[in-house]
Amino acid sequence: MSYTYDRDDEDSFTMANFRDHVDRATFDQILEMDEDGEHDFSEPLVFNFFDQAEETFGKMDEALARKDLDTLSQLGHFLKGSSATLGFIKIRDSCQVIQQYGHGQTVDGLSEPNEAVCLGKIKEAIKTLKTDMVDLEKAIKTFFDDAK
Amino acid sequence: MQLLAAHHADESQSSSNSEQRIGFDGHLLFDLSPLPQLVLSPSCCITRVSSRFLAEWHVAREDAVGQQLIPFVEKQLRPQNSFSVCYLTAAIDDAITSRTERMSQRIVTQHATAWKARILPIFQEHELLAIVVEWLEAPATLLEHDEIVRPGLSTDEAFRILVQAVKDYAIFLLDTKGRIATWNTGAELLKGYRRDEIIGKHFSIFYGPEDLDIRKPDLELDICLREGRVEDEGWRYKKDGTRFWANVIITAVYKDGVHVGFGKVTRDLTERKTAESRLITAYEESEKIKSDFLANMSHEIRTPMHGMLSACSLLLDTPMSGRQKDIVHIMDESGQVLLQLASGSFFITSDIVGISSIITSVVRSVQTTLAPSVHFELFLAPDLPKSVQGDPLRYRQILHNGSIRVRALLHAEDDDSFVIMTEITDTGIGIPEPAAATLFTPFTQFDVTTTKRYKGTGLGLSIAKALAELMGGAIGYRPNPERHGSIFWFTARFKKIKSLEQIQDWKRGPNGRTESMSPHPSIDSPDLQAQLAKAATIKTLLLVEDNVINQKVMLGMLRSLGFKNVALASNGAEAVQVVKGKPAAYDLVLMDINMPILDGNEACVKIRESGIHIPIIAMTAYALKGDRERCLEHGMDDYIPKPVDKKPKSQT
Repeated sequence: MSYTYDRDDEDSFTMANFRDHVDRATFDQILEMDEDGEHDFSEPLVFNFFDQAEETFGKMDEALARKDLDTLSQLGHFLKGSSATLGFIKIRDSCQVIQQYGHGQTVDGLSEPNEAVCLGKIKEAIKTLKTDMVDLEKAIKTFFDDAK
Repeated sequence: MQLLAAHHADESQSSSNSEQRIGFDGHLLFDLSPLPQLVLSPSCCITRVSSRFLAEWHVAREDAVGQQLIPFVEKQLRPQNSFSVCYLTAAIDDAITSRTERMSQRIVTQHATAWKARILPIFQEHELLAIVVEWLEAPATLLEHDEIVRPGLSTDEAFRILVQAVKDYAIFLLDTKGRIATWNTGAELLKGYRRDEIIGKHFSIFYGPEDLDIRKPDLELDICLREGRVEDEGWRYKKDGTRFWANVIITAVYKDGVHVGFGKVTRDLTERKTAESRLITAYEESEKIKSDFLANMSHEIRTPMHGMLSACSLLLDTPMSGRQKDIVHIMDESGQVLLQLASGSFFITSDIVGISSIITSVVRSVQTTLAPSVHFELFLAPDLPKSVQGDPLRYRQILHNGSIRVRALLHAEDDDSFVIMTEITDTGIGIPEPAAATLFTPFTQFDVTTTKRYKGTGLGLSIAKALAELMGGAIGYRPNPERHGSIFWFTARFKKIKSLEQIQDWKRGPNGRTESMSPHPSIDSPDLQAQLAKAATIKTLLLVEDNVINQKVMLGMLRSLGFKNVALASNGAEAVQVVKGKPAAYDLVLMDINMPILDGNEACVKIRESGIHIPIIAMTAYALKGDRERCLEHGMDDYIPKPVDKKPKSQT
């Protein structure tokens, strides 16, 4: 099936992405802190978050290379905090995976003593994280552009 | 006879006067004797009768003379006494045989006179010439006695017959060793043994193996000897092996002060026992039906409740006026409680409880259902602890079953717990005295008239009672002394939160105002909002948060709530340093838990250790169960989960 990439399609695609990625109630709380209908507060905040995420990804790659599970767990927790605050749920969930396996635990809190398994799961999660982040950035950009 | 006549003539010749007098007198003596007399031929035919006899027996001479004695006497007897004539015959025979006087048994004549016959057989050589019968009147008292215990029964005989004839009770005697000595009809019918097969057997034959194992028969006799009697209820066995539920009374029997045995009376109570167990079964069945019904109900309630609550939360996301929000919050809160009740079984959890916040929230939800003319007051005692450990849901549940003036106070306190007394006073219809006793009995309502004006199942107060007791407290009622109406009160015991003792002191501020940690301490109520706005301008906060994004969001939220003076620290160590440096500068610390260098819990401990009792509220992402307790253990005052909902705490 051929895929025509016109504007409407892109819109519906990003909006679907947006719905998957963002918890509206939480994100709306952030938007409520904007004044006068301008996104003076929320927009820079969200782009700060993307910067923070980019920086954290770098640290994660380094820690993964060192097989430093502790640092990976801390980084996961760190990014989980801010993504949750903004309502970026997919990001948050991947960070949770990294934090848990960094602690030698499954997502359900069960013990996973095999370091190789943990590192494998984390590697996978970081990959998902990065892909998701690209999609999210696109959706968020569209969201703020449309608002202007 | 000729000789005699000659002699007689001779004598009459010599002393005729005297002879004549004696002969005349002899006849006269017989006739005039005060004792009624008869002379019988040897064949017992009446030959002579005395005048006295005729007078006393009310008979004519010609009716008596020439008659046989026995048929004659029989005719004169009282009808029911006829058999006693045989005593007379026996006495006569005996007298003739022994040739000496004999007394007969008493006989009673038609005129209710009792007589004894003195029988004198007159012999010449070996020849019986005549029999003289003298009648002696028997004492009147004996007659009366005889009349009562009618036909010749002695007292002993009467009782023996009585006992023997009783069919509904087994009545029998045991000897001193417990062996059966007598047996009555009742015993035979009840136990199935015939007299000849049971006499001499030990009475333990009636007992079952369980009773024999504990030597019950012997024990019963021991008790009986010590106390005079013993009563027991239990299974007893018949000859055919079937059992019956018996009531047994054993009495020690003494004769002239010497123990001679035991009297035993056994009754069959099987029917009563059956009726009892039928009642118990019926009760248990109804209990089961009731609990099945409730289980069913709770299931049926949960489904629509979920729908309603989802709708509520959607509604809360839409723009609404303050008043509307208030109402929806009440719906949401009440729905949450109902849902928990419907899915929860009847047990008590141990959780952190904010007594005042629960009362406040119940009061808030009840208030809207009242007529505007009803005045609703709330008194929270200043010394009421802010947070205690117990079951918030159950506490709320009891409170909910009553209304109008609510008073909560600290009733008692020991090292480990508080007892909170909650009183609900109303000025309603009151409760009539007789109904007060059954107030807490399930399924009873005091107004059961056909025109029942008040709705309900009659379960509310009995549930409240059960709950109060589960929480180590009590529940009660007394009439409102001031006016018409009722006072309901209940107490509940809550655990102290040990590590917070110091803070408790600090927290019992001058006005005792307390804030809650209930799920939705609504800042949307205008009252609280105003208070918050006022507090925000003058309070200084310290926000401890390592993530810049979160810092910014929290700052934004606080600012939107009106807080202007907010300081920042990006880890626990920094926070400790800042607070220690200026202990009086901050009114409240908002503390992230999971931070590098020094985490929130450790930071909190350090701050408390340096003797600073500043309120600290923990924030943490995706709290696990038990996180809150852990925070409070570390000396924090309260806890909010992240992402922070726009409902943070205010602390005046």
